[in-house]
This record gives sequence, C-alpha cells and structure tokens, in this order.
Amino acid sequence: MATTREVGPPGWARLCRSDEIGEAQSRGFDPDHEGQDSLFIVRWQGDLHGWRNACPHIDGAPMAWRRDAYLNAEGTRIVCHAHGAEFMPDTGLCVQGPCRGERLSRIALAVVDGELFVKS
Amino acid sequence: MKIVGLESLVFGVDDVNGASRFLVDYGLAPVAVSDRGGRFEAIDGTAVVIAQQDDPALPPAPVPGCRLRKTVMGVADEATLGAIAAELRRDREVRRLPDGAIESIDDSGFVIGFQLTARRPFVLPGELSNAPGGVVFRPINSLGVPPPGSVIRPRSLSHVVYFVPDVMKAEAFYVNRLGFRCTDRFTGTGPFLQPGGSLDHHTHFLIGAPPHMHGVEHFTFHFGGPSEMITNGYRFVEKGYQAFWGPGRHILGSNWFWYFNSPFGCHIEMDADMDQHDASWQPREATASADNSQAFLLKMRSKWYPGPGIPENGDYA
Repeated sequence: MATTREVGPPGWARLCRSDEIGEAQSRGFDPDHEGQDSLFIVRWQGDLHGWRNACPHIDGAPMAWRRDAYLNAEGTRIVCHAHGAEFMPDTGLCVQGPCRGERLSRIALAVVDGELFVKS
Repeated sequence: MKIVGLESLVFGVDDVNGASRFLVDYGLAPVAVSDRGGRFEAIDGTAVVIAQQDDPALPPAPVPGCRLRKTVMGVADEATLGAIAAELRRDREVRRLPDGAIESIDDSGFVIGFQLTARRPFVLPGELSNAPGGVVFRPINSLGVPPPGSVIRPRSLSHVVYFVPDVMKAEAFYVNRLGFRCTDRFTGTGPFLQPGGSLDHHTHFLIGAPPHMHGVEHFTFHFGGPSEMITNGYRFVEKGYQAFWGPGRHILGSNWFWYFNSPFGCHIEMDADMDQHDASWQPREATASADNSQAFLLKMRSKWYPGPGIPENGDYA
C-alpha cells in the first residue's frame, strides 16, 4: 500500500489538497505516523503556513485542544491550549502567554498542482 | 474553617459552543446552557461554569489571558462563611452576593468565592477489585470493565492547580487565613493543600512560576475508579481531544491521572482514587520531577494478535 511519502516530489510528503484548508482554518497532520499530529497548517490572509505541533514553553507540548483546533475562535491567533500562549499565524511569534517573544518552528511547504506537500 | 472543597470554577471563553461540547464529552451534565454560557455539573452538583469572555458579569482575570475568572469553594455552615468574611475583611474587600455567598480575592489575584456547599449526597459504588485474600469484592457476575455505551460521569470537582508568582505568599494565605493544611510538598515547586473540611489529599496545588506563567495549570474531577477514568479518557481521545500526559498514576496523592488540552487555556485532568488523609498525616517532601510525579504511565496497544485486518504476525511494532 502506498504511503503519503511515496507520492509526489522526492523528499516531500503529500498532506492534502491545498484548497481543503480555508481562510482562518487550521489542520493537523501526522506524516510520520507517530500517532499524534506532529505539525499543523494554518491559512492566514490567503497564505498557508506550516508549524510544528510543539509549543516552545514546554518542549514539544502538543497545542490543539481538539483535532485540528489550533486557532482561537476568531481565527486570528494560534493558541497553545496547554497554558494559553498565543502566536501570530504568519510569523509564529508568541504575543501573549508563557513564551512571549519566542517563536514556533516553521515547516517548509510546497504546493504543486494544487497539492500541499511538506518537506520530510 | 470547614471549607469542604471546590464548588465550581468559572471560566470566560471565546467559543462557548466549542467549550460546551468539550465539557459534555468530558462527561459533565449541561444545566441551563445557551450560546452565552452555562453550567456543567458532576453527579454531586459541583461544576464548571462558562460564559463569553466579554460578559460584563464575569469577575476580572488575575492576569491577561487567564480564562479562570473565579474559584468557588463550599463551606459546611454559616459560621464558617461568617468567619471567612471576618478574616478577609481585615485587609481586603469582601462582597456579599445576593444569594448569600461571599466573594473576595486571594493573595495571588485569583477571585475566590465561598458559599454554603450545595453538593448533593449520592450513593454509588466505587470500583472494587477482586483481589485474592481481600475482604470486599465485586458482586459475582459483575463486570470490571465499563461496557460499551455505558454512561461514565465525573462524580465531584476534585482540585485546581495555580501557577503563582510568589508561592510562599500564596501558601501562607491559604494556610494562615483559610485553614488549609499542607499534605505534601514538591521542593522548590509548591505545596499540595487540603482544606479543613475535606480528607482529600489536595483540593489545591500551588506551583511557583515566573510572572508570565501566572494562571492555571489544570483542574479535574474525580471519577469512580481507574477503569472508569481510563475508559472515559479513551472515549475522549476517540472523539478527537488531544491528550497531554497519561494515563498514569501519581505518587503524591496516588490519584490516577490523564491530562488533556482544553479550550480553557489550561489542562484538564480526569482523576480517580486519590489518597485521603487526616490531621495525623505527616507531610512528605519530594523533588519535583517526572519520576517523582508518576508511578507509571500506560499505553494501549490497539491490536496485537493475528486476525482479520491485522498483519500476519500481529501488530507488535
């Protein structure tokens, strides 16, 4: 059975169609089949941004409160639902909470023919 | 002072409908819930109360970003309520609310309330173990695992954990002003505190933290036993909620635990089978580390045996 790693450009893993993530929406992915989403994608002002699902305030702390729920209700901030840290969706900069001034780790993304890939 | 424990926790949230669904899936019963908020009760009536974060009726948060707006404690009698009011009025405002409860603020900035406890007495067997040589067993033909589709509900609001900027000051307030007792302590971190009217290992745990962490680490309800708690946790995970730590069992307090992220900007725990102590208990002190806070952690293997839909040699990766 083909895995996501066996599809698309060498060294990149397919996540989904890029238009499946709407404006101010987020979605988590587990491309390495670790049993928990290791990264998430947000669309902010039209652009897609990929971030590791690891809050800098506790090394590796998962951030969503429910599958794919990485944003606040307005869709304006990424939120770590462990201790409430808030991050800008486009820069990953923490603007409120226990790791203010720190940043999320960015994941390299590519869109090819409408398909979203992550650098593996 | 006969403070019997937590009565309710009040949160201001940005997504009332999402938070409501979360609490119902956790197992709490919604009471008078609308798009603006509502109350979610355990079996004994202790509860989480939520409201829109911009609701003007909410008390202020201790620091920006903290979604806990009030911690309400239950007391056994009017005399205790009066004694608390008199004690706190010595150096701070104490408001008497229309329902007779009182409201003030602790030394860390958390709004605290006190009311005559409205906990509903109930009788419901706890989890029993068929231990050879034991005295009390499950009835014959009674199953130990909660059956599929059974309803599992939290029984009682258990404890809340604060991040506080000055843990010694915070502890002194609860011990010297409100009659709490330290049952155990993590060195350099903070105390587990038991109020005078409870035997639970703790209803409050204080963690010294830098000012930018000021807020809440977690809160939790007691379940009927480890099997209920773990079964409920797995059901919670299957619904898409994100686990943080557990299932496992703590050392101090002995409570089974499973922590999850929550829409309240803090963790929420499910717990069961916490130790109880009386005044003869001598507090222990331990270094705060993962190895000192967990007796063990569990992990479920979904499939391990050969069979339909399973690799030829089973799934033992």
